[in-house]
Amino acid sequence: MSEMVLRPEFNLPKGTSEVLGKDGKTYLQFNSSMATLYQQTYGEHSRFFLALRDAKLIGSKCTQCGQVMVSAATWNCPFCNFAEMKEVVLPHKGILAQTAPITIFPSQSFIGQAPFCRGYVDIATQEKVASFLPSRLRTTTGIPRPGVFVKGIELKLVFKDKREGSILDIFWVPMKEIPKKLRNKAPLFESELNFENPKLPKLKINKNLKPVYVKLLQSLNEMSLKVLKSPRAQKDLAGKKYRIGVKTGGGDFTFIIEKNKMKVEPKVAKKTDFVIVANNPKTFNDWINDGSLTDAVIEGKLWLPSREAFIFLPMLDRLPRSIRRDGV
Amino acid sequence: MRRVGLVGAGITDCRSRWVEATYWNLFQQATKATLEDAKVTTDEVDSVVYGIYNDIFEHQAIPESSLTGIIGMAHKPGVRVTSGGATGFYAMRAAIMEVASGYSDLVLCIGGEKATDCFDPVSKTQTPMVIDTIAKSWDPFFEYPLGATASDSYMQVCMAYNDNYPNDITDPEIRATIIEMLCRQGNRNPYGQRRDEKVTKQQVLESRWIIAPFLRLLEVCMYTEGAGGLLFASEEKAKEISKRTGSPIIWIKGVGAANESYNPGRGGLYKPLHRIESDRIAAERAYKMAGVTPKDIQLVELHDAFIAQFMVTMGELGFVPIGKTRDLVEKHIMADIRELGENEHPKKGQILINPSGGLIFGGHFVGGSNMFSTWSLRREMINRSIRYGLVHGTGAINAVFGGAVVFELE
Ligand SMILES: [Zn+2]
Repeated sequence: MSEMVLRPEFNLPKGTSEVLGKDGKTYLQFNSSMATLYQQTYGEHSRFFLALRDAKLIGSKCTQCGQVMVSAATWNCPFCNFAEMKEVVLPHKGILAQTAPITIFPSQSFIGQAPFCRGYVDIATQEKVASFLPSRLRTTTGIPRPGVFVKGIELKLVFKDKREGSILDIFWVPMKEIPKKLRNKAPLFESELNFENPKLPKLKINKNLKPVYVKLLQSLNEMSLKVLKSPRAQKDLAGKKYRIGVKTGGGDFTFIIEKNKMKVEPKVAKKTDFVIVANNPKTFNDWINDGSLTDAVIEGKLWLPSREAFIFLPMLDRLPRSIRRDGV
Repeated sequence: MRRVGLVGAGITDCRSRWVEATYWNLFQQATKATLEDAKVTTDEVDSVVYGIYNDIFEHQAIPESSLTGIIGMAHKPGVRVTSGGATGFYAMRAAIMEVASGYSDLVLCIGGEKATDCFDPVSKTQTPMVIDTIAKSWDPFFEYPLGATASDSYMQVCMAYNDNYPNDITDPEIRATIIEMLCRQGNRNPYGQRRDEKVTKQQVLESRWIIAPFLRLLEVCMYTEGAGGLLFASEEKAKEISKRTGSPIIWIKGVGAANESYNPGRGGLYKPLHRIESDRIAAERAYKMAGVTPKDIQLVELHDAFIAQFMVTMGELGFVPIGKTRDLVEKHIMADIRELGENEHPKKGQILINPSGGLIFGGHFVGGSNMFSTWSLRREMINRSIRYGLVHGTGAINAVFGGAVVFELE
């Protein structure tokens, strides 16, 4: 079956339920929805989205003042009393107008896509006046993190191999990540780039971090023992089977999670589900002391290769809290 | 144009959820409180302006229609205003204009929201559905499909500001200090949603990230259910009501509004991402109309959706230089409520900002949040004998809607 507009889990059983008020009285609430389905026309935007389907990027240029709108949001210039605007074909490169925020906690419709990055791309850079294109931004170097999508970097336009006529048919990748021979290729397609196996970031090996690492291993082993005594922690790990390699500037290890238990091996195992990287092993010490690995990712202290690795973190983040709450 | 006075104000308790009341009852509660405050009856009110932001929240496309009779406004003209986060401001502007024009002598301006009946069946919590409902304020062709939210949109502006004016909003200690101060202020608000909370600087700095590097969980406004009302009157009517209540009139001195282009860009009239021009232009217009400068104003109730934006907005309103908004804390421009107590006037060179606790601690029922701010402003102006005060509203994608009202104590 083709993908549907409403996901099957996006629903509630019919009926009412009781809810307790602040005044101690019982109130009634009813399950309902305000979902509307549309076959919404792209109207005057159709040309832009038809062009995307053909792997082209177009804008509209005013025949009077010369300003360019990207996307072609209108064909009548709002600055020249609606003078006619003509279609212009745009280059497949641009500049990130401003540093872009990374969304970690998306709205209901986008759960499962995070983390993702969206920003505004300046494409008609030769023109004095031009609008920016709102777009998704992607990197081939792991999940998006601070420092990647900063103001002024050069971006390359990439098209999805299969396009339907949507703003999600395209995204932008930092030009420096594009292999040299592909930089002038237009159109460039997603399948021509490698998003699946990002290179591990280079570590700064630092002698001073060695003792931090040694202490970390100790703490992790203590934590493994505490998990055995914490029903909450065991519940967190129930049914999970993972081998996660961890590289730090002080030394490496592997998290092994199976049979409701956690084990640590003091090196990166040959077979892992994925490898994550933090320059400072203290990142993990902080986590054990009730910190958060998700926060470390958001701050850019912990590198992850993929969304799969990110989705795995909340389980680890719960562990120290579960152990504490069980008083172990 | 006729003089317009604010003669009454009333708000409901601000709650994260009111299972005890629908929006019908919340609007009635606020209307009752407002009319009682001004000692007027429903008969005396000439017309009503409703501020309701989002139909999806209320689950009704013309929610004001079901309110009319219940709030005692049957057979009177009623108009609904909806302008995103700035709905409350724009509803006030419409109500003020109605009196200024001579169409009405006494106008009820009432706003509210029922936000957290929304429910996400997947996470079994309200928040992702509330965020989604707000995200539906973005267009369906370009922005919404990208996963835009109110948070990442306002953070885009803050990050762009930081690109152009580094080392200003970056300092987490400064932002946390402001939050600690707002929390103390919110504790004094008898209707405030988080009036019993004690949030320390340290807790702010340790709260989890929403969007790095300017937005931790404790740096963001709440979702509130509630309603707030104001009564605007012509000069003659205001004087008559003031005699009845014994409360001084707060005169509307200046109103300024500006909305920027939806499309960000370079040059022309495109929205520059690194500034909140809507705030700047709106404030300049309000000052010009009022014949005042920021130096004359020592009380501000601003729309603090996010604390980094609070700082940028204070810059755009002209109270601190753009690029040096940290002066608010470093130069002690933001008055400390512990020093002022309940009745003291802010010291020279100081501004009392969001004594209500703002939208972060006080309440944020979107369609009436700026009425909530005005309710607090009036209370503080009277109690502390502050001559000029300013209420600010912001909203829509990348903060493109802006408004400001300057008030003067009689
Ligand atoms: Zn033009």
